[in-house]
Amino acid sequence: MQTNLADWIKDTPEGREADSILRKCVHCGFCLATCPTYNLLGDELDSPRGRIYLMKQMLEGEAVTEKTQLHLDRCLTCRSCESTCPSGVQYGRLVDIGRELVEKKVGRSVAEGTQRGVLKRALPRTGLFSAALALGRIMKPVLPKALAAKIPVKRTPGAWPAPRHARNMLVLQGCVQPAIDPDINAATARVLDRVGVSLIAVPSAGCCGSLPQHLGDAEAAHVLIKRNIDAWWTYIEAGAEAVVVTASGCGTMVAEYGHALRNDPVYAAKAAKISALFRDVSQVVAAEQERLSPLLRASTPPSRVAFHSPCTLQHGLKIRGVVEGLLRDAGFELTAVPDGHLCCGSAGTYSILQPELSKQLRGNKIAALTSGSPAVIASANVACMAHLESGLDGKVPVRHWIEMLDEQLAAS
Amino acid sequence: MENLIQSLTERVKQAASNNTPLAIHGGNSKSFYGGAIRGDALDLRAYTGIIDYEPKELVLTVRAGTPLQEIETALEAAGQMLPFEPPYYADTATIGGTVATGLSGPRRPYTGAVRDFVLGTRIINGKGEDLSFGGRVIKNVAGYDVSRLMTGAMGTLGVLLDISFKVLPKPTDEITLRFEMDEATAIQRFNEWAGKPLPISATSWHQGVAMVRLSGAAAGVKAAREKLGGEAVADAQAFWRDLRDHRAPFFEDAEPLRRLSVPSTTSPLSLDLPQWIEWGGALRWVKGAADVKVLREKIASVGGHATLFRHGDKSVGVFHPLAPVLAKIHVNLKAAFDPDNILNPGRMDNFS
Amino acid sequence: MNAGLLADFSRITPALNVITDHERLRPFETDAFISHRAVPMCAILPEDETQVAAILASCSARGVPVVTRGAGTGISGGAIPSEDGVLLVLTRMNHIGKVDHQARTATVGPGVRNLAVSDAAAAHNLFYAPDPSSQLICSIGGNVAENSGGVHCLKYGLTTHNVLQVRLVLSGGESMTLGSRALDAAGYDLMAVVTGSEGMLGLVTEVVVKLTPVPEHVETLLAAFPSVTDAANAVGRIIGAGVVPAALEMMDKMVIEACEKFMSAGFPLDAEALLLIELDGVREEVADQLVRVEQVLNDCHAQEIRRAKSDAEREKLWKARKGAFAALATIRPDYYTIDGTIPRRCLPDVLARYTQLAEEYRMLVANVFHAGDGNLHPCIFYDATVPGEMERSEELGGKMLEICVEVGGTITGEHGVGVEKLRQMCVQFREAELATFHAIKAAFDPAGILNPGKGVPSLKRCAEWGGMHVREGKMPRADIPRF
Ligand SMILES: Cc1cc2nc3c(=O)[nH]c(=O)nc-3n(C[C@H](O)[C@H](O)[C@H](O)COP(=O)(O)OP(=O)(O)OC[C@H]3O[C@@H](n4cnc5c(N)ncnc54)[C@H](O)[C@@H]3O)c2cc1C
Ligand code: SF4
Ligand code: SF4
Repeated sequence: MQTNLADWIKDTPEGREADSILRKCVHCGFCLATCPTYNLLGDELDSPRGRIYLMKQMLEGEAVTEKTQLHLDRCLTCRSCESTCPSGVQYGRLVDIGRELVEKKVGRSVAEGTQRGVLKRALPRTGLFSAALALGRIMKPVLPKALAAKIPVKRTPGAWPAPRHARNMLVLQGCVQPAIDPDINAATARVLDRVGVSLIAVPSAGCCGSLPQHLGDAEAAHVLIKRNIDAWWTYIEAGAEAVVVTASGCGTMVAEYGHALRNDPVYAAKAAKISALFRDVSQVVAAEQERLSPLLRASTPPSRVAFHSPCTLQHGLKIRGVVEGLLRDAGFELTAVPDGHLCCGSAGTYSILQPELSKQLRGNKIAALTSGSPAVIASANVACMAHLESGLDGKVPVRHWIEMLDEQLAAS
Repeated sequence: MENLIQSLTERVKQAASNNTPLAIHGGNSKSFYGGAIRGDALDLRAYTGIIDYEPKELVLTVRAGTPLQEIETALEAAGQMLPFEPPYYADTATIGGTVATGLSGPRRPYTGAVRDFVLGTRIINGKGEDLSFGGRVIKNVAGYDVSRLMTGAMGTLGVLLDISFKVLPKPTDEITLRFEMDEATAIQRFNEWAGKPLPISATSWHQGVAMVRLSGAAAGVKAAREKLGGEAVADAQAFWRDLRDHRAPFFEDAEPLRRLSVPSTTSPLSLDLPQWIEWGGALRWVKGAADVKVLREKIASVGGHATLFRHGDKSVGVFHPLAPVLAKIHVNLKAAFDPDNILNPGRMDNFS
Repeated sequence: MNAGLLADFSRITPALNVITDHERLRPFETDAFISHRAVPMCAILPEDETQVAAILASCSARGVPVVTRGAGTGISGGAIPSEDGVLLVLTRMNHIGKVDHQARTATVGPGVRNLAVSDAAAAHNLFYAPDPSSQLICSIGGNVAENSGGVHCLKYGLTTHNVLQVRLVLSGGESMTLGSRALDAAGYDLMAVVTGSEGMLGLVTEVVVKLTPVPEHVETLLAAFPSVTDAANAVGRIIGAGVVPAALEMMDKMVIEACEKFMSAGFPLDAEALLLIELDGVREEVADQLVRVEQVLNDCHAQEIRRAKSDAEREKLWKARKGAFAALATIRPDYYTIDGTIPRRCLPDVLARYTQLAEEYRMLVANVFHAGDGNLHPCIFYDATVPGEMERSEELGGKMLEICVEVGGTITGEHGVGVEKLRQMCVQFREAELATFHAIKAAFDPAGILNPGKGVPSLKRCAEWGGMHVREGKMPRADIPRF
């Protein structure tokens, strides 16, 4: 599309980046087809192309109001549109820029501002997640209900094998995951231990920074990113092979560290290095598949599984079919999941801020996942897992796929 | 030929200024069909000949007065065909009349109707203007699709001059299978088979006997035959030709013959009249006296339309009456093409 | 905004989604023909036919123009709004009604996505045959309005061959049914006139489409050629050999490279031209055709012939083909696609003339098109930020279309006239023919409020432009008066 950016933004780094993204879009509309909000609402304004246009207007200097803000708020940042776009339009980047500018230009009402502020500050602090719940009472009615429903039975972590291998990797602990399912990382450590890799969790690292980032607060995100880099750096210098992330939502953020701090005089290089070392757990396991396969196949093939591929995995990280392949290889039978490209509605804080749309998406997703009568639903992102569980009423258990491989190994 | 066109346009202009109707005709093979004929004859038979035929293009352009036989012979020589299997009704049939009546033969449900293969037309409208629409190419969306509008308009909108068609390779092998089954079963089977990738090219049911024609490459026809069962019929070509041209005894008496066009899955109509079913169930010929009003209502209620095809009393209208909003558009269109109502007036009798 | 009109709308139903603010209207100012734009007075997203009829009735009573929009993927600007008019966006009328597998039909709302129809029919082993490259998102209503074709229309036909019945609402608000669920309907073939009428005759509010059995067997071939001429020759020879492929598509080098870069389709990069050929039908029939086609390809100097070994491989090839236009956008920021159709035998000659023209204009032109149909889609690249480039690309495009008319073809095979090809309409048609089109419009839309100014140029504008009618090499007729 032809663009004509306003003077106030034209020559800034964000302006230049946004312009180059906008210029790539040919307004073909393909992305509408796979956008979850367009599917539900049938309105161009709630589609990627419509949102791109709204942002373009703002960048071209037109007046912007809470109307544009509403349509950007409704976006899940699932990046399904990116997977569909044949012109390679990086919508995710554009909407990050767009949201930050809208936040500055339009602002928020007091109530909305408080809610978002609390989410931004409270959730990222490891250990404070449950405190945030207590705090949530002042933000009724939305927060307590939505979050309360998200607290599933807490799983106790199993043993974490002591570091014993020459090969080692770092793992991101994150903020929400330890509170909900601390066994995911432990299971990862056990699986990797079997193939000769020790997994190290550094306690001083925490939230990846995506929560404030997607609420339009890049500055707050940068603080968290830098803290993680500092925590990991000595290990990296000592030869840690990779930064493994077990929640694909956090993974997309870590993969973007280099981009996020590209203009930071001190951290740019380190951030780029971290992004280069980033691996989703599926990539790490797939790389060791040759050694792992015989170990897995030693036990009896388990049950039917429906795999929910998180948006952050398939659209954000563009990792498609890898987990499915690992599960199949381990003997699981995968059931068909229609519309697998659509978001489950969890999307970071979306389930709290857009409860209605989120609930519809969750309902649709659960219907799709259970259509093949699976015994277990597997996924790769703790937020999606909690979100799905809150809608399933215990009818079908939801697990991280790595835990299933871990159990399979333990049984063999 | 340009002189001939000149004189034809002159005649139309004159008729318009004198307000004298013209009755356009070719070989008169289908003059029994449609509303009453009125006006001075405008014979198109002298405007004849193939203008352009390049088999590699799959496109044929002909003059309206060209005998159908001549065209089919030329196509046959190149291993091609008019895919809608046009009915002749008499050897004198011309291509112009074929397009104007819009009638198609047994292959229709499986490859398409005459309107599906008309690509372009050159016509003279009621004002004596020489106009061209569509073209000699397979895809064309410039302007409204006037050529298809001409198809089946019974010459009421314009005198057809040149017509371009898409043609297709003729299947190399053909076989007809015979089954004994009742009407309801035949309708059901025809529809089931049509939903499967089978090389069916025609279907018929009459008096407890279903016939199915398969066309294509030898191997494909053979494989389909094995799937369907039934018994192979010798000399089936004559059977389909007689059905197409209504030369079978069923069609040859003077009883009113009605053409009932209905959704193919319509269950047996139980009209208590002798019947012949074609087109996978979508075309049902019935013969004999009937209460027109009741019949039309019944056919409309299943989503179809009834036409008095041959013989019988035309005073109550040959074609199925149109809904008032539709009739209004027909009147408007007729006025747009033929403001003086001189082209085949009354031949399309369901809206004026 | 017209206050009386707003009051009318609020009486229809309070829930009617009417957009009147500039901020939210602008995203509707254009479709996929982005070089042209206009912000409408208001946009409405109706939910059903009754609302559509009521909106139209008040618009015609007040003489307010109405433009219909489906998915907004049109590339001739058909859905670009009128500044003083209402834009009706039908994307919410996306209900898939009955899929009748016995009768092989599906009844769908106009806003249903083309591909969603095939998805809904898949369980019965049926599909909706017309498959425009935009099938993922373009709407059935838009398809009917444009008479869209697709890569498989050589064998399966265009929209007009695959639609049985439509519900149409006229500008005055009257609704009616055209066509029928039978194989024909009484009266004139109004379905044919409405199909491809670009929203100028009425609004399509429901469509009954014909479903086709999924072929038993499919073979997809990729053939690489050392020259465009060789590939073009092969196209004619394949059809001459009595084979009608389900699809027969051609791409030149520039397209091959763009597709490869963005979709890693595995196209051979050393070829000057590619043919993508699909054969389908009964297994034995396809086997027979395959032999004949491979023979022709070899005779025409194909340097490489590949057969898709799996459905996944086939899908990858088609995905690359269907995404070709968007992938091309990476060559230069802006492009302009032409849609002329020519008799197939003129392919080598016309393509050569295009190359020559492109050189004269010093512009990049890529070719990816429906070769089997003779439907050309040269893509002219330009940079809109360079002054004059867009105008030059449009001029070059105009010349290319005139060549199509000159060799007996047409200015648009499937994309429609819209606002884009009005000038070329004057080249293809004479005054009396254009007047006929205007009369047809008036027969349906006497108020003249539907998509005004599109599709058919006024005689006055043609006269202003010089009205150069060049059909089949003939120069404008001296005997027709100009005014
Ligand atoms: C990348 C790309 C590839 C394409 N490939 C092809 C191709 O291969 N073949 C092809 O034929 N086209 C192709 N197109 C063009 C386009 O997709 C088709 O014309 C399509 O049918 C338009 O559908 P739409 O829903 O987007 O309609 P819109 O663009 O919204 O509207 C198109 C026209 O139809 C009218 N209209 C829409 N809905 C209705 C209705 N319900 N009633 C009455 N009028 C209506 C509008 O007023 C307008 O004039 C392509 C477009 C793109 C962007
Ligand atoms: S990120 Fe997801 S919700 Fe947002 S526009 Fe893209 S597809 Fe739609
Ligand atoms: S698919 Fe890509 S190019 Fe097309 S409208 Fe969407 S973002 Fe733009």
